[in-house]
Amino acid sequence: MSLIIKDLHARVKDGATILNGINLEIPKGEVHAIMGPNGSGKSTLSKVLCGHPDYEVISGSAELDGQDLFAMSVDERSRAGLFLAFQYPVEVPGVTNANFMRAALQARMPKGEELDAVSFYKEMRSKMKSLDMDPRFTARAVNEGFSGGEKKRNDILQMMMLNPSYAILDETDSGLDVDALKIVSEGVNAMRAPFRSFVIITHYKRLLDYIKPDVVHVLYKGKIVRTAGYELVAQIEQQGFDFIKSEE
Amino acid sequence: MDFSQNLSMEEAFALAEAEAKLNAALQAASQRFNDAKIPDRYNEDWRFGQPAKHAVALAEILKTNVPARGSISVKCADSEVVMPVSAEDDELKETVNLMPTIGSDALLGLHIRRFGEGICLMLEENTEIKQPIIITYETDGLYTPYTFIMAAPGAKARIEEHHKCADGATMFCVRNIHVMEGAQIAVELHEHGSIDSRCMNITDIHNLGGAVQHFTSHAGHAWAREETIAEVYAASPGTSIELYSANRISGNSVLDQHTHQIHHIGGAKSNLLYKNVVDENGTAIFAGNIRVEAGAHCTDAYQTNRNLLLSEKSTVHSLPGLEILADKVRCSHGSASSPVDEEALFYLTSRGVSRANAQELISTGFLEDAYNKFRKSFDETYTSGLPD
Ligand SMILES: Nc1ncnc2c1ncn2[C@@H]1O[C@H](COP(=O)(O)OP(=O)(O)OP(=O)(O)O)[C@@H](O)[C@H]1O
Ligand SMILES: [Mg+2]
Repeated sequence: MSLIIKDLHARVKDGATILNGINLEIPKGEVHAIMGPNGSGKSTLSKVLCGHPDYEVISGSAELDGQDLFAMSVDERSRAGLFLAFQYPVEVPGVTNANFMRAALQARMPKGEELDAVSFYKEMRSKMKSLDMDPRFTARAVNEGFSGGEKKRNDILQMMMLNPSYAILDETDSGLDVDALKIVSEGVNAMRAPFRSFVIITHYKRLLDYIKPDVVHVLYKGKIVRTAGYELVAQIEQQGFDFIKSEE
Repeated sequence: MDFSQNLSMEEAFALAEAEAKLNAALQAASQRFNDAKIPDRYNEDWRFGQPAKHAVALAEILKTNVPARGSISVKCADSEVVMPVSAEDDELKETVNLMPTIGSDALLGLHIRRFGEGICLMLEENTEIKQPIIITYETDGLYTPYTFIMAAPGAKARIEEHHKCADGATMFCVRNIHVMEGAQIAVELHEHGSIDSRCMNITDIHNLGGAVQHFTSHAGHAWAREETIAEVYAASPGTSIELYSANRISGNSVLDQHTHQIHHIGGAKSNLLYKNVVDENGTAIFAGNIRVEAGAHCTDAYQTNRNLLLSEKSTVHSLPGLEILADKVRCSHGSASSPVDEEALFYLTSRGVSRANAQELISTGFLEDAYNKFRKSFDETYTSGLPD
């Protein structure tokens, strides 16, 4: 069981091509890191996988546990086990965090079954506590007026509530303070399991010191140009991306 | 006039003078109804409202003299407060005669001809009714009730009015809300429509130094028109009028809302927030006007109309207006109509919520915002009280 991306080409709708043949395999149970210079296509890759309407797939495929990801709607992909913690989580005025999560969990229930409200709130509160979030956030509109770090934490909370099989974290560390980074990393580590994989997109070694990846990829100009072990992180930290750019 | 009381000469003169004034006003009023034309396309207050279709249809059934077909129920912790409107109550009828409308004098005139149904709430001085008072009007034919609410100085209450129409029915309600100094009143009106049902409301809010929060919601009517005239006649600290509305319009429904916020005197605040979710071939019309009369200095008056369009076929006409004849006035009006934010929809669907449910969550939240503000404002003034 894995997430398999083959020769994926994608572009901004009616615009520039951003992904130029991505090949990636994320087996269940592993943590992969994706690094790469600004603008290389990391966020685009994750949004294309989720089905963001701004992009279109030109060619290539993506399979999630054997299912054709691109044949599914955005919500189906989520229910199939894919999760993306966004680089820039969106504000949704008028919809409270609690109602949002209830709807998302209800959507995963078999037809005719109702989510138990009491245990739902209990679970949400306890997860918020583990992320050091104010319990009053349940009643606040999704990300509305949240600080940068609060938004990131909220996305991680959603991940914890939804229990995905494949979680992509797009620069979750940017905007988090030192303590929050530690709390969030601990949360992610606690979720590491043989039935779950993580793709961690980041610019910094610091996060990957907390959440040790099994495999590290470098994305550059819309392609995976390097795949190696954890040692690649240290090399990038020391030398930057020049050694990769000069080879391309 | 009753001379059996022992009045001094001056008092008798004053009374006679007042009565003469009232008679003159009533005469003018009846003249006004005689002169009034059924709204047509030259009537500016019916712009976009298809008067040839809707006003004419309403006038036609009102003229037929079909008997009222409706029922009233009232839930109130203090039964002393509630009185049914009776056809013989001339004094009450006079208050209707003097009511302003927004372009619908002729229709009000026809309503008055049917006067005799409805509920009168007399909220007594410095008394608080804790449980909300619930008035329900229901009809499966034509019903033309009148709601009169008098909040004496210092009275506090929450009133819910529910109007329910069966298929094809028509409800035309005239409402008068008087709020005296220091009174705190929240009134919410929920219109529940059905297939081919119609409703119209003419509401006049007279604020004489109290705080009033007014909320309306419409759902399901084929056609609904609302004329709400909110007037400040006397101000003391904390005097305010807040008007909220939250509506869903779908199918081929039309919601035609008109508001006047009129500040006859300075030192008071009025605020309006009307929100609509418009789907399918639905049409929302909002025409609001703030008028700050000459000399009504230090007035704050705001008005916002916001529409969420769920379909490309949905229509919105938003006509906010301001007339300011005084100084040191803070006024603003704004109107915005937009489709559901695609980024927000994507975000919700990316967590597994279907697109339809995501849209529903966003629409519900959009409308709840208006209701929540109404409740929050009421809870705040209600618990803290008005400044002394
Ligand atoms: N919706 C869009 N419209 C126009 N250009 C876009 C859009 N999305 C992405 N791009 C462009 O595609 C390129 C890749 O962007 P992307 O956000 O995927 O980069 P990234 O690798 O995530 O960078 P960063 O490290 O800065 O987050 C950039 O040049 C960006 O400007
Ligand atoms: Mg990015």
